[in-house]
Amino acid sequence: MTEPRPAEMQIEGPKRSIWRNLSLTWLVPILALAVTLGIAWKSFSERGSRIEITFENAAGIVAGETSIRYRDVDIGVVEDVAFSSDLTSVLVKARVDNNVASSLPDDAQFWVVRPEVSASGITGLNTVLSGVYLEAAFEPQAGAEATRFTGLDSAPLVKPGMEGTRIVLRAANGSMLSAGAPILHQGVEVGRIETPRLLDSGKGVIADAFIEAPHDKRITTATRFWNTSGFNVNFGPGGLDLSVGSLSSLLRGGVAFDTVFSGGSPVGSRYVFDLFDDEGAARDSVFSETLDNAVDLVVEFDESVRGLEAGSSVTYRGLKVGSVTGIGAFIDDTSGRQQVKLRASIQIDPRSLGLDADAPQAETIRFLSEAVQGGLRARLASQGLFSSNLMIELAEIPDAAPAALGIFDTEAPVLPSVASDLPDVAATAEGLFKRVDNLPVEELMEQAVATLRAIESFASDENLRSVPGAVTGLLDDARGVIGSDEVQALPGELNATVLELRGIIEDLRTADLVGKLAETLESATAAADTVTGVADDLSGATSDVPALVEDFRQLVEKANSLDLEGFVSEASALLDSADRLIDSDDARALPGSIGDALDEIRAVLAELREGGVVENANATLASASDAAAAIEEAAQSLPSLSARIESLVSEAEVAVRGYGENSSFNRETVAALREVREAAEALTKLARQIERNPNSLLFGR
Amino acid sequence: MEDAGAPAPILTAKAAGLVGCTQCGRVHRPGVARCTRCGARLQSRDVTSLQRVWAWLFAGLVVYIPANIYPMLLTTILGKTSESTIFGGVVELMHHGSYGVAAIVFGASIVIPISKFIAIAYLALSVQHQVAMSAHRRHQLYEAVEFIGRWSMIDVFVVAILSSLVQLDFAASINPGIAAVSFALSVAFTMISAQSFDSRLIWDVDGE
Repeated sequence: MTEPRPAEMQIEGPKRSIWRNLSLTWLVPILALAVTLGIAWKSFSERGSRIEITFENAAGIVAGETSIRYRDVDIGVVEDVAFSSDLTSVLVKARVDNNVASSLPDDAQFWVVRPEVSASGITGLNTVLSGVYLEAAFEPQAGAEATRFTGLDSAPLVKPGMEGTRIVLRAANGSMLSAGAPILHQGVEVGRIETPRLLDSGKGVIADAFIEAPHDKRITTATRFWNTSGFNVNFGPGGLDLSVGSLSSLLRGGVAFDTVFSGGSPVGSRYVFDLFDDEGAARDSVFSETLDNAVDLVVEFDESVRGLEAGSSVTYRGLKVGSVTGIGAFIDDTSGRQQVKLRASIQIDPRSLGLDADAPQAETIRFLSEAVQGGLRARLASQGLFSSNLMIELAEIPDAAPAALGIFDTEAPVLPSVASDLPDVAATAEGLFKRVDNLPVEELMEQAVATLRAIESFASDENLRSVPGAVTGLLDDARGVIGSDEVQALPGELNATVLELRGIIEDLRTADLVGKLAETLESATAAADTVTGVADDLSGATSDVPALVEDFRQLVEKANSLDLEGFVSEASALLDSADRLIDSDDARALPGSIGDALDEIRAVLAELREGGVVENANATLASASDAAAAIEEAAQSLPSLSARIESLVSEAEVAVRGYGENSSFNRETVAALREVREAAEALTKLARQIERNPNSLLFGR
Repeated sequence: MEDAGAPAPILTAKAAGLVGCTQCGRVHRPGVARCTRCGARLQSRDVTSLQRVWAWLFAGLVVYIPANIYPMLLTTILGKTSESTIFGGVVELMHHGSYGVAAIVFGASIVIPISKFIAIAYLALSVQHQVAMSAHRRHQLYEAVEFIGRWSMIDVFVVAILSSLVQLDFAASINPGIAAVSFALSVAFTMISAQSFDSRLIWDVDGE
């Protein structure tokens, strides 16, 4: 069985030995090779093109790790960091994607993005963790395959491909220009300033600036730039004006612009603008430039032009329409005798008169000559109330002497002038000063000094100083009177009398003795009369008090009217009289006489008790009632007495308070016054009780 | 069963005019197409065996090249991506002082695959050419190659586990590179290559 088979195999073998016996497995290595080659080709083709970037230094750049980004997308990676052959710079070799490299133009910009903290914010924060990367900015150009570039130190202000206009700002100094400072237009940031640099001449600083695309249309020849950095304090007739820009511009400075007149023409790239210190200066600057069609005029003055200088304004109804370009003198002999006249050359801007910016001079002159026929005249005016600087004012004077614009072939037209009212202003001001000067300021001062001296000598007067002592004495006396046993015993005695009265009436009620009642009643009447007399005495004694109070009040009024010396003497007199009053026998006898009266009443009542008379009981009772009424009357005068004492005390208190709060005199006075007041209050209470129920005095109820 | 015979003269099934089943070892008469015990296809000698060995070996070699050139691991830590190849990883481990791990990686990823290539090529060549190594030693070599081949997958295994576990977004993430796939393919191809080898061919050469 085995024999024929090898024979068959040998027949078929040679024919198909290569292809039939070839295993299909060979497809696997072929496939693997193809795939591997494919991968290799792909990675080779995607490897990118090699570029070289030159940097000053390679801070943070790591070969193999630092990536290159374009619009924040990785486009390549740094392969190698090496020095240039002369060691002056660093060569960063990198591979960038082929599709990018094929359109990488020569002016592509590369810079290292690092974390950065500045006044305008924090940038590049993501690089803190991931490390720095290279940012690329370029405007793709198909077919441009540049491979060598120079890296920038910092991110460029204007990246290639940004649309806008690049201008140049010129400033007197660079303190108001800082790199990256914003350019604002009506508060909106529309551009940035690049690093300022000194002019070659050294007389100024220029800085490139970039205005972004939609806003750069607003930049015309009529645009003015001014500095908005920091804050601006302006104190004027409108009050205090503090204006602060944005916080960012406060820190970094900033520039704002606006179109200050109409009719500017568009500017090209790198047009040079001047930077003004503030908005006002920027707006006024319109007139400082020379215009092709500005109209030169001449104004002649007879009067002094001191204060007028080249550059002074020419105003029309308060609006600046031009400026003085020069001042000179010339000899005028048209009137027959030689006379020196002053002549000011002025320049008028047709735009400010409402004419077209490119209006021909002839038109402006025609306009002006018509205006002169209508009364337009030039005159000198002061720039301010206290300023000696002058300006030329174009004013319409209806009743001016007829004149015309003097037009000559060789010279500028002469604008007729009128005498200004300047001297009047000066005279008025001078008169004002003179009047101020004439004010008797020194006499006034002298009198004031004298017055003060008099007050001082009065205050240090011995008499005045003795016043407190006298008042103390007076108060001591008053305290003695009020504290005397007699006065204090008064209510007790009254009480006892009333008790006795009550007893008598009790007796009367029970007893039937009426025999001698008539006489007794007679004497009771007499006693009652006595009581009335006593009461009258009391009234008389108290009537002195109001007079005293009146005196005191007058004294106080006089003191108020600052008759101080009189006050002192009168105060002394008052105190003397007060002393006298208190020392007077009447006052001292007051309690005594009341006591006597009561004694007499008591005696009468005793007689009554003894008499036992009842015939004229009615009359007796009537007179007793009279007596009670008299007592009541007397008692009614008690409150007024106490009130007077009170007012005296309070007035004295007021007087005393003037002598310091804490002196011993004061303390004593206050204590004395307090006692006086307490006594007065006791009197008031007694009087009130009697008033409320007079019968209780008689009947004990 | 065939090599369980006496050490001195080996009587192969072919020499005895029989066909041995490679799966269960039963011997059949030459006319039988399928093993009567296990149903496997019977073949006295696999004539395309060497072709397949060489084919798989080449395939393994081809993919082994990118496995060493391209990065095995893409490690991203805090936005910074670093790539490491097999050999680069070994060098890095040595720099860190992990000589043991470096040795394991070096052995599993470089020594074993390369020695496998050499061993398989040697065995395949020994079928066609006279070599010094005895048949018995070559059998042992074959057994060793077949046994150790799977251990090369340890590298791929580590990469697979790392890249599935370490996915912490921005903080850290590990991704397999092209080399991981290539290496896995290379190991698989060489294993298939080793299995395609009909070890009975060793005796035939020996018998000549």
